Amino acid sequence: MLYLYKRISIVLLAFIFVFLVAQFGVCAYSSDNVIDNLGYLTESEVLYLQGSIERIKDNYRLDTVIVITDDTQGKSSRDYADDYFDYNGYGVGSDYSGLLLLINMDKREAYISTNGKAIDIFTDKRIDNILDDVAQHLSKRDYYQACCEFINNVKSYANSGVPSNQYRVDTERNYFHRVLTMIKSFPVYIVALVISVIATLVVTFSSKGKITINYQTYEENGSFALTENRDSYIRESTVRTKIESSSSGGGGGRSSTHRSSSGRTHGGGGRKF
Amino acid sequence: MSSVKEYKCPSCGASLQFDPPSQSWKCHYCLAEYSKDEFDKHSHEEHLNEDMPDLDSYICNSCGAELIADDTTSATFCIYCKSAAIIKSRFSGRFKPKSVIPFKLTKDQAKQIYSNWIHKRILAPKEFKQKEEIDKVTGIYAPFWLFSCETDGFIQGEAKTIHTWRSGSYRYTQTKYYHFLRRGKARYKNIPVDASKKLDDKFMHMIEPYNYNEIQNFSMKYMSGFMAERYDVEANEAETIMKSRVEDYMEKRLRSTVIGYNSYSVNSKQVLLSDITASYSMLPIYLLINKYRGKDHIFIINGQTGKVVGDTPISPLRQIVFGLIVFAVVWIIAVFGGALFV
Repeated sequence: MLYLYKRISIVLLAFIFVFLVAQFGVCAYSSDNVIDNLGYLTESEVLYLQGSIERIKDNYRLDTVIVITDDTQGKSSRDYADDYFDYNGYGVGSDYSGLLLLINMDKREAYISTNGKAIDIFTDKRIDNILDDVAQHLSKRDYYQACCEFINNVKSYANSGVPSNQYRVDTERNYFHRVLTMIKSFPVYIVALVISVIATLVVTFSSKGKITINYQTYEENGSFALTENRDSYIRESTVRTKIESSSSGGGGGRSSTHRSSSGRTHGGGGRKF
Repeated sequence: MSSVKEYKCPSCGASLQFDPPSQSWKCHYCLAEYSKDEFDKHSHEEHLNEDMPDLDSYICNSCGAELIADDTTSATFCIYCKSAAIIKSRFSGRFKPKSVIPFKLTKDQAKQIYSNWIHKRILAPKEFKQKEEIDKVTGIYAPFWLFSCETDGFIQGEAKTIHTWRSGSYRYTQTKYYHFLRRGKARYKNIPVDASKKLDDKFMHMIEPYNYNEIQNFSMKYMSGFMAERYDVEANEAETIMKSRVEDYMEKRLRSTVIGYNSYSVNSKQVLLSDITASYSMLPIYLLINKYRGKDHIFIINGQTGKVVGDTPISPLRQIVFGLIVFAVVWIIAVFGGALFV
């Protein structure tokens, strides 16, 4: 009886072990912020990335997520990335600041979704730069390097903060919405006012007539002659000025935004690899 | 000898007047047409080299009525019989013009030009644009002094050339300084200066230029059918206006020879005039003076070339409406057009 019990226990344990191993085989190693459904990363790599992510969260109040999957439930990379971020409780603070890198192996696409404060920090230009770095490693199937590159970029951009010329552009607003924004835009009124005042002044003062003679009208043809014509060199001076490099890393202040299924505003961009 | 001249048609004795399109004299009654030469045979040119006493009043040759004329009016019409009346004393002696540019535009053409012009004055009040005003357009031979002179002038100053290039991470700007001097001579011919106080100098300046190829020796015959004024600005008064114009022309002419520099500034200049001659000439204008709320508004057409100057009152209401329309149009374009690009 005892023997039977032991055997059943062993079989059960073995079964549980096999089941667990099998589970790990599919799920591989994942942590809170690094979800590797395809087992491309080792446990130590996941732990290392998670560690970096937590430091970013503490230092910059930005949640960073990496998702590797080949099943986006029929959604586009953008929608899947936005929804994954929204519905899994990511984001720091009331505006859910953070960003998510989706490595979509089904469509061989990398997509970065930004949220909250991260929309402003990660402008279109910066996302493009990050995707340049990430896609380079992805096309070499170097997934860990791609993730490290991503984390490093996030760290450095988070450190430099929001670019001074940053602005958001909602790409999903329809024409009507944009017309409404223009109607509310103060500069439009200023421009229209200035132009109308100038036009009125021009019409008011241009009504009289113009002088159409010039300094040669009454000059007898061929009577003009230079009797003295001197040009003498006096001195010269040379000034040297340093050329300021205009590239301030990142550049381009535009952050394109759209709305996800949850209704929250996201920024982001994607790249095939 | 009568102090008033009226040219009569050699065929029928009606008033004979100058006809701009054919540049000849036409009788509106019997339709006879005379060129200058033909007309001269019938009516000899009066030389009028001596000053004649200016009278207090003149009598129309045709009907005997008294002519209503200002002190400076030298050709007019009898208000009763509409005959052309030319006051000889105002074309004789020191008032004898040397030359004339005959009218080329008819009164009807002048009216048409005025009506096109006034319709484009969108800020002028509606009452001002009323039709009956057009009939008051008058062809006038206006007195001008035509000045000719020799000039000698110079300008001098400092000029700069700027050359920039890049080397490594530095930009070099090299500025070379030069001293320049330009001295030149020129002859100016027939600079017209308004010789009538009645006519606004500024407007008279704006109807220039006249084409001097069509200038003729003066004959009172050209005055027949038009109004004319004699000068009341003496040649030496007009000369100061001419001098400042010539100084400006000469300076600009000299400046036009300073080339090859990025910038220059004139430190000193001088223009001297010599051999100044003034010749008294009658030049054609069409004039319309409209009174509006106590203020005169002048409209002048060059009677030879058709060039137009004039001013109209400005209606503040129309200014505001115009401004608002422009504002609305710009705003609509900015909002609906701008929305395509944001």
